[in-house]
Amino acid sequence: MTLHTRSLPALSALVILAACGGDPNSPGIEYMPDMYRSPAVEAYVDYGQDPYYFEDSAVVAQRNTQSARLPVAGTVPFSQDPAKAALNFPYPYPNTPEGYEQAGAELRAPLPMTEANVEQGKVIYEKFCVHCHGPKGEGDGSVVKNGGYPVPPSYTKADPPGLKSLPEGKIFHSLTYGKNVAMGSHASQLTKEERWLVTRYVQFLQNGGNMPGALPAETADTVATDQDTAAN
Amino acid sequence: MPLPARFSRVFTGLFHAVLTLLLIASLSGLQAQDVDQALYDAGEKVFKGNCASCHKPDANMTGPALKGARERWDGKGDIYAWIRNSQEYLKTGNEYANKLFEEWNKSVMTPMALSDEEIDAVLYYADNYAPPAPKGGGDVAQAPTGPTDAGSLWPWMLVLILLFVVVALSLTGVKKSLANAVQEAEGREPLPDRTFVQSVQEWAWNNKGLATVIGLAVTVWVVLALWNFAWTIGVYGGDEVAHYRPEQPIAFNHTLHAGSAGDGNLAINCQYCHSGAEKSKHAGIPSANVCMNCHQAVNQGRTEAGTADIQKIYAAVGWDPETMKYTGEPEPIRWVKVHNLPDHVYFPHDAHVAVAKLECQECHGPIDKEMTVAEQWAPLTMGWCIECHGDKAVKLAGTDNGYYEEMHRRLIENEKLGHRELKKWLEDEKVTVKELGGWECAKCHY
Repeated sequence: MTLHTRSLPALSALVILAACGGDPNSPGIEYMPDMYRSPAVEAYVDYGQDPYYFEDSAVVAQRNTQSARLPVAGTVPFSQDPAKAALNFPYPYPNTPEGYEQAGAELRAPLPMTEANVEQGKVIYEKFCVHCHGPKGEGDGSVVKNGGYPVPPSYTKADPPGLKSLPEGKIFHSLTYGKNVAMGSHASQLTKEERWLVTRYVQFLQNGGNMPGALPAETADTVATDQDTAAN
Repeated sequence: MPLPARFSRVFTGLFHAVLTLLLIASLSGLQAQDVDQALYDAGEKVFKGNCASCHKPDANMTGPALKGARERWDGKGDIYAWIRNSQEYLKTGNEYANKLFEEWNKSVMTPMALSDEEIDAVLYYADNYAPPAPKGGGDVAQAPTGPTDAGSLWPWMLVLILLFVVVALSLTGVKKSLANAVQEAEGREPLPDRTFVQSVQEWAWNNKGLATVIGLAVTVWVVLALWNFAWTIGVYGGDEVAHYRPEQPIAFNHTLHAGSAGDGNLAINCQYCHSGAEKSKHAGIPSANVCMNCHQAVNQGRTEAGTADIQKIYAAVGWDPETMKYTGEPEPIRWVKVHNLPDHVYFPHDAHVAVAKLECQECHGPIDKEMTVAEQWAPLTMGWCIECHGDKAVKLAGTDNGYYEEMHRRLIENEKLGHRELKKWLEDEKVTVKELGGWECAKCHY
């Protein structure tokens, strides 16, 4: 039939244009796919795409190579800054109720309680803590209010389970390992230094949003205790 | 006795009577049919203030579900003493208390200074707990936005054109057979059987001027269309093309998690999950342990699909929600990468987030407002990069960045000395990225 042969180009044009029209799963046409997707494993390479020119075995191998890796076992982040020497040491307290108590009793912040540190801590707090603990640490963040999340104890209440008198060692311990089921470990998101900065800001909130005028005795001799901790 | 005082005595008496009745009812295993709203509310208040960090009324969390706690304790010990100070109560050697302590990983419950009435109210609340209706926001089934809507008109236009062609062709056929019938009736030869192409050729030969104009117009249109199409190859975002919006193994809803709290969303900062944005070249797709920071406690989504997706996180990290323990058998989530840059060009997130202080949305679009599925919003072409580098003013002061602070110092101090280049920079009253070397090849291609 002549009609069919005549409409074939039109039909195929329709199919091609419809195909280009926008399948959200397709990244479209690429000029040089091998420059977009190199055989070397790159961070967050897309496993879903065919690397075009490689043999099947290589494709399978690439798809099964995980680009997100753990740090090499036994390594710690290292800073050459002598002021941050204490941060180089591995965290000595285990993730147990005993470790929590011990950290509360012994562990002291290597960073002094200064306005600059509190200010830096605030920036981190407002990214990593505020959605649960609330802007003033009263446990009224958006996740709690809108998500029905377990209510974190308030930093400003002294009666249990209020955390007004929670010592800095316990704050840092909770940030490192998490606390209970509701708070997970934040060690993968925050470096030790950042965790200490947040700790300082939490202490600032415990004090009702004021700089502690007279520092508690244990924080005044920070440098000395710091060296003790390092020596341990 | 004055009247109000008598009233209050009567009320307290009534209150205690009701409480005792309820106690008897719950002790004998009977569920009170009608919920005492006042007691329920009082219990809810105490629960939220003291217990909610570690307990849920109807599910296990850090501690056991409180629903049925009184029943479980019935005849085994003093639940009031246990709630007030569990560590003290353990020392009495109560068998059930010690068993519970062992079962729950020896987690120590904070001593609670609660009265008997308050404890009764909490337990009443837990036993009669009705989950609240879910709040709005986080609507998963939102229609995709963007240029895909405009693009969907195309197929219909083509169908219309095709239909027109078919009708025209069949009409020509009918016309021809009618003409042939006339020829036959008048005893003449039937018309020569010409193809469509032949008839077009004949028409063009007879109308040369018009045919030339039409031919030229068609050629120009085709060339332009091809030229425009070529610009969209390898471009997955921007205004010209449908955004790349691949289906992910877990349908993570950015609007629900990062959208504004006023709309009933959770308002979590972008960098809570993409914590590399400030420190590294990559903003980072969060590893599943970051999901578990919250989803250890949240195992129900707002929709059934959401709940199913949360189970996928558990499978990925190897978490058994029943026993609340890790099984040690993780299986990585195979996210599909959305934003791809070609090799040999480098984009550092840290320089743009920590130093330039750009908002995520400036390049990623309204991901916290409209995108229930992550999509590539910007075109990520070289022209797009260059345009921003040529136009954007650098925030020199107050960035806590030594490099810019130094630039700023020199600009301020050297202007008096007549430093020509610096003066030229400031002619348009801003210093652009380009003027600080943002157009040099090696800035991005290194």
